[in-house]
Amino acid sequence: MDVLLDIQGLKTYFFTEAGVVKAVDGIDFHVGKDEAVGLVGESGSGKTVTGLSVLRIVPKPGRILAGTIRYEGEDLLSKSEEEMRKVRGSKIAMTFQDPTTSLDPLYTIGNQLLEVIQEHRKGLSKEEALEQAMKLLEMVGIPEPELRVRAYPHELSGGMKQRIAIARALASRPLLLFADEPTTNLDVTVQAQVLKLLEELRDKLKMSLVMITHDMGIIAETTQRVQVLYAGMVAEVAETPSLFRKPRHPYTEALLQAVPRIDQRKELKVIPGNIPNLINPPSGCRFHPRCPYAKELCWQKLPQLEATDDGHMAACHFWRELSLRGV
Amino acid sequence: MASITTYVIRRLLFMIPVFLGVSILTFAISNAAGDPISLIRQGLRSAPPEVLEALRVYYHLDQPLYIRYLYWLWNILQLDLGESISGTPVITRMGAWVLTTLELQIPALILAVLIGVPIGVYSARHQYSKRDVSITTFALFGYSMPTFWLGLMMIIVFSLYLGWLPSGGAAGITRVWWGSEFSDRIAHLIMPLLVLTYVQLATFVRLMRGNMLQVLREDYVLSSRACGLRERTVIYKHALRNAISPIVTILGLGFGSSLAGAPALETAFNWPGLGYQFVVATFSLDIPLIVGITVVITIMLMIANIFTDLIYAMLDPRVRLG
Amino acid sequence: MQKETKPESSTTVKREVTAARGERRGASQWAVAWRRFRRNKAGLAGLFIVLFFVFIALTSTWLAPYPSRSFQALYEGEAGQPPSWKHPFGTSRAGLDIYSEVLHGTRGDLYVGVGATVVAILIGMVIGAVAGYSRGAGSDVLLMLSQVFYTIPLLPLILLFARVFSILVAQGFGLTLILLLLGVFGWSSISFIVRGEILRVRELEFVQASRAIGASKFRIIFRHIVPNILTPIIITATLFIAGNILTEVVISFLGFGDVNTSTWGITIQEGITYMRTEWWTPVFPGLATLLAVLGFNLVGDGLSDALNPRLRD
Repeated sequence: MDVLLDIQGLKTYFFTEAGVVKAVDGIDFHVGKDEAVGLVGESGSGKTVTGLSVLRIVPKPGRILAGTIRYEGEDLLSKSEEEMRKVRGSKIAMTFQDPTTSLDPLYTIGNQLLEVIQEHRKGLSKEEALEQAMKLLEMVGIPEPELRVRAYPHELSGGMKQRIAIARALASRPLLLFADEPTTNLDVTVQAQVLKLLEELRDKLKMSLVMITHDMGIIAETTQRVQVLYAGMVAEVAETPSLFRKPRHPYTEALLQAVPRIDQRKELKVIPGNIPNLINPPSGCRFHPRCPYAKELCWQKLPQLEATDDGHMAACHFWRELSLRGV
Repeated sequence: MASITTYVIRRLLFMIPVFLGVSILTFAISNAAGDPISLIRQGLRSAPPEVLEALRVYYHLDQPLYIRYLYWLWNILQLDLGESISGTPVITRMGAWVLTTLELQIPALILAVLIGVPIGVYSARHQYSKRDVSITTFALFGYSMPTFWLGLMMIIVFSLYLGWLPSGGAAGITRVWWGSEFSDRIAHLIMPLLVLTYVQLATFVRLMRGNMLQVLREDYVLSSRACGLRERTVIYKHALRNAISPIVTILGLGFGSSLAGAPALETAFNWPGLGYQFVVATFSLDIPLIVGITVVITIMLMIANIFTDLIYAMLDPRVRLG
Repeated sequence: MQKETKPESSTTVKREVTAARGERRGASQWAVAWRRFRRNKAGLAGLFIVLFFVFIALTSTWLAPYPSRSFQALYEGEAGQPPSWKHPFGTSRAGLDIYSEVLHGTRGDLYVGVGATVVAILIGMVIGAVAGYSRGAGSDVLLMLSQVFYTIPLLPLILLFARVFSILVAQGFGLTLILLLLGVFGWSSISFIVRGEILRVRELEFVQASRAIGASKFRIIFRHIVPNILTPIIITATLFIAGNILTEVVISFLGFGDVNTSTWGITIQEGITYMRTEWWTPVFPGLATLLAVLGFNLVGDGLSDALNPRLRD
């Protein structure tokens, strides 16, 4: 499989008044061509910041401290800001969680689509650009695009806004899309539509997708491979079916157990404890305070990501000994 | 565009109760001080009873208060503001005063906006930098000090001590400063203008910086960057417009309170504008003049508000609906 | 960090943000906010300044070398003197010791500043609450009323009132009159905040749920609405105090204040006539005003920072 994006040892910290928040603290991550990869974890696990780091739009007071990010063989971290700007939107794109706030409320959506289209293709006349915009809207399933083009974001529903946000991100046919919680802020009925749309677009544009979410259900539905993040570090990496069948990291097991299932009569298992303090993370394995299997080694030594015997990568001292339950 | 018109009309209609409220209050209060006759009588020692009787009828003093108010309101709408105690019609003197006040207020406002907004943007973009800290401190002092007092301080230093600038008035009386009549006016305008601009600028910098900081954290700024838009576009097309919208209405209010607060600054500089005359009129309980000036100030305020409402509606489409 | 055995997760960045932002309240929210405020150096400086002035206001009677409005310096032949050891801020031509006047004036100005704010908050909360809770015409009328009061030009009306009721002023009620006027004309922004918050909370799902299970209006008010309005009201209050002090100084400077009490504005006003020669008379009370207002503004900004965190997830 061809590797499109290769991240090694990424560290992105936020230098706040309260202390240094180690949002991403050493992550390896890769995405292949035409592949759908999941990035899953609770809020604060570093999944969004990873996406922002790739595009190098991490807001202040954040900064990328270490690591390499290679896209199509080129090192993104050594590019100038101007070069990076050309990458954003045209080669790699990102959509955000809340479609209401990711569109500027003061401009029509036509205006916002046009500005992106015209930014990446200079020679286009206004009519040609407008045509492109219409095509984009059709592609994401917006009915009557001629009318919608003149509409303002607040006049549209959440589902439509998310589709438009996706259209804007895909305006220049990027090969890689980071979708950050694309369905979290939407009604349940609309969620399925948007996921289906993403699937179609991926197929049509031969695009790779990084699905950033906390919802294991979405991971199961849309991804081929998945990376589980916890407290800024990778806990487990595996092919999606295999991960669900038999996880090799206690955190993954806990996540899977927390998913409500209609065919099993059992209590919903809540993961005990709180999300970790990223300024002063727990010593050793970051998950140890909440891990039911933790032993003394766990808080003494930070486990490294190791290849397991069934094709997973797990950062746990005891992956060999533990027999974890899947779903 | 139709929705903008409806919005403006709605705001205009709102101004009517404001105007009524202010005029009623002013009228009632000033008449509580004493009816015009006894006040005028204080000026005219002995006046023949016929004159007093004529004045009584003129001021409708035989009628109850609310009738007098309605008469007065009717006159206002015909632009007749009555006569001040001194005898001259209120309205003739008002024109010059309005111009004098505006001569100071409008340039100050324009300068404050033109300088304040970019500084606020810069400050927000470089939050916590040394420049940002000095700008914030500079602004903090600006809106923490009494405007007129700063004026007094400047008069002490630049006028009384250094003698570089005139100490008061809008134009030279005993001498003509700096050559011509025009530069004389400029010489007189400099200090009050500087003071007023600084204080207003301070507020704008603070507001702009605050709004900008908030807006820069919004998702659409991040998503615009993610789409590869130029930083210039992100900041000036998206962030700035969003940050400035709420400020525009504050601008209107700010202008209004600057107008209303003009008395102090004008008094400090002996600047013969509306505010200064208002103070004089209030002291001498020249009721028609007091009421007249208050009405004019309110009208100017209303115009400023309508104007800023218009701009706000043009900037933010969400305002035009409900 | 020291060696841990089996540690608990300490308070997290996440929880700070969530707790400070969310609807769930606990003691931790105030503790968190206080910690943040403590880190804000400017806010602390402001607090120090404010406490300093409060201290002076309370102790001025004993602290000041001369009693309020005492023209003793005239009799001692020391009127119109520049700052010296005996009179650190100089004396006015009429014989006032400026230093004493500034100290005494602290009480007057704080009285007006804080008092007017309290009045404004009380009126604003009542009107805002009624406007928010009632529906239909009553609510609209109150809203309109608030908007009218928000727009009318404050100063001319106050000056007029003060002049007309100058009898009251002369009898020593001057400061209280100004206080009441400022409060009565200034409540509108508070009512907007209160009304807005009530409207917002009313529509929240869990409030509707509480109502459905029979929770009384009072319970809803105290548990949900009050914590949410406290923050903006506290911040607005500090800024109000700053503004009211400034307005009081303006009113007294223009000559509408009470000549028998010491306030900073009165002292400045008396210094105008002889500014040419006794320049120190208006300078020092103005500096005091600047410092006091600065203090309140810094506290307000610091509170605003502490209670509305801008941390990103």
